[in-house]
Amino acid sequence: MSDAEEAKATASSPSAACPMAADGLDDEVSSPFQCCVCLDILYKPIVLACGHISCFWCVHKAMHGLRASHCAICRQPYVHFPSICQLLHFLLLKLEPVAYKRREMEILVEEKATDVYSPQFADQLELKKLHIGNGSSSKNFKDCRSGDFERSDLSENRLDHTIKRNISVDDVSCSLCKEMLYQPAVLNCGHVYCESCLSGLSGEHLQCQVCQSFHPGEFPNICLDLDHFLEEEFPREYAVRRDQVQNKKAQCQHVNPSPSAKRKQNPMAQVPSRGNDLWLKEDISDVHVGVGCDSCGIYPIVGKRYKCKDCKEAIGFDLCEACYNSTSKLPGRFNQQHTPDHTFELDDSQMLRNILMQRGNLIHIPQQGPEVIYVPSDDELHDHENHSDDGSGG
Amino acid sequence: MSSTSTGSLPPGAGRGGGAIGGGGVGGVGGRGWLSATSVSSSGKRIKKEMLELNANPPADCSAGPKGDNLYHWVSTIIGPQGTPYEDGIFFLDIVFPCDYPFKPPKVTFKTRIYHGNVDSAGNLNLDILKDGWSPAMTISKVLLTIRSIITNPDPYNPEISSIAQLYLRDRAKHDEIAAEWTRRFAR
Repeated sequence: MSDAEEAKATASSPSAACPMAADGLDDEVSSPFQCCVCLDILYKPIVLACGHISCFWCVHKAMHGLRASHCAICRQPYVHFPSICQLLHFLLLKLEPVAYKRREMEILVEEKATDVYSPQFADQLELKKLHIGNGSSSKNFKDCRSGDFERSDLSENRLDHTIKRNISVDDVSCSLCKEMLYQPAVLNCGHVYCESCLSGLSGEHLQCQVCQSFHPGEFPNICLDLDHFLEEEFPREYAVRRDQVQNKKAQCQHVNPSPSAKRKQNPMAQVPSRGNDLWLKEDISDVHVGVGCDSCGIYPIVGKRYKCKDCKEAIGFDLCEACYNSTSKLPGRFNQQHTPDHTFELDDSQMLRNILMQRGNLIHIPQQGPEVIYVPSDDELHDHENHSDDGSGG
Repeated sequence: MSSTSTGSLPPGAGRGGGAIGGGGVGGVGGRGWLSATSVSSSGKRIKKEMLELNANPPADCSAGPKGDNLYHWVSTIIGPQGTPYEDGIFFLDIVFPCDYPFKPPKVTFKTRIYHGNVDSAGNLNLDILKDGWSPAMTISKVLLTIRSIITNPDPYNPEISSIAQLYLRDRAKHDEIAAEWTRRFAR
């Protein structure tokens, strides 16, 4: 049965022949870290607040330029484009070096074609930092690096098992407790914590302890794919961590019963979340169509848009009002060469109200929702308009 | 016979890669995050789906490229047993947009079918092919959804309201006509 099917498959699709290897179509379909959008191994993974993972470009291309975006898997709405999860990035680089390098080459070709680049990480430097930061032996670090290089040379020889030996608990440790992650949750900045560590943080707003940036929106869900991976890869350590965390939780509840436990459930509950109903309540005429903030990742920017006058990249460099007024300045989301001495200007060329006025074929500025917008002459807006209908439809 | 990407271009690709993004609205520099579509990534994803479909075809369904063009598929669904459509072979046309999977494929019936959710041109009213689309959806899932709507029509969101009304009022008559159409057009 299965033999026959296989035979049929190879017969009916000529593409099942050898050139596929170069395309990477025969690679690790079984990998736990497959992107649900490109159906390939995750590349520069991003973890959304709902806990689902996708590639940098897969998330970016699926985002909506005019209103809230939705997770491809669970459809949970979100408005912030999170930063790449570097822990997962380097983990995948170690787990699947050949496939990951192949993806890197493929994506680079696409990026060159569009002249927009994803953030680049200096592998070795970062890896070293990662390991020193965790106080682990640099010997381990050297070993696995040299292993990687050998592997990329003889890509035909699959040595996955030897490679898997090279990941250690240090590669998957919490930024806060420094122990192996248990029920990991990823913040908007891409840093990973145990869920229990995050909910133990004090303060009104969830703030990353590594990069100090605030996490906007709801308390992040546990990243279940990573959690399952840890459970399988390090069963013993995982069991120990589970007991630790549960004991701690039990103690907390014993000492300080209801109020703290209640708060920990959702420490960000007071922060207004901008979800599904975003455009139903707000006036959307001051949305900057297709413009995102390079600091917090909000997309699209609503209200004031500060555009960098000195960044030459095609994609530009923009900040929302809140990020412009804050002190923390993170690097751009698309590898822009932005520096603090660049100057900004207010820009409203992409503001929906102005786009519509320029076109002159819309008299009424919508107050209720995007479904009343109709700009037939423009590809780009038409595209948004198609999508906008579902805000009201379902 | 070669199905490698050369020569197989998606509809609209001739307008240039930046059909969606590009400088349509914006001025010089700082076009924002509107992304340019990449033909190669949509082609790769479609190829992956093709391999997966060949390896694990959904029950009673088949699909594959029509000819050399990777973006134009033909598919068949066999009418589910126990329905007036049983043993009918229904052909469908699938056209992938160049920014697939970020936009849904266009699916139309090529075989005539008496069904309240399919109009005379073969268009079907299916939420997941419109606003309900998600890039995590695949052709395999779409075909299974279509198969299930053949079995269980949705008379409250009809394409042809007379058929939907008949379905609600006189199910036996509806099924009789549907079976007759299946015999005439889908065998």
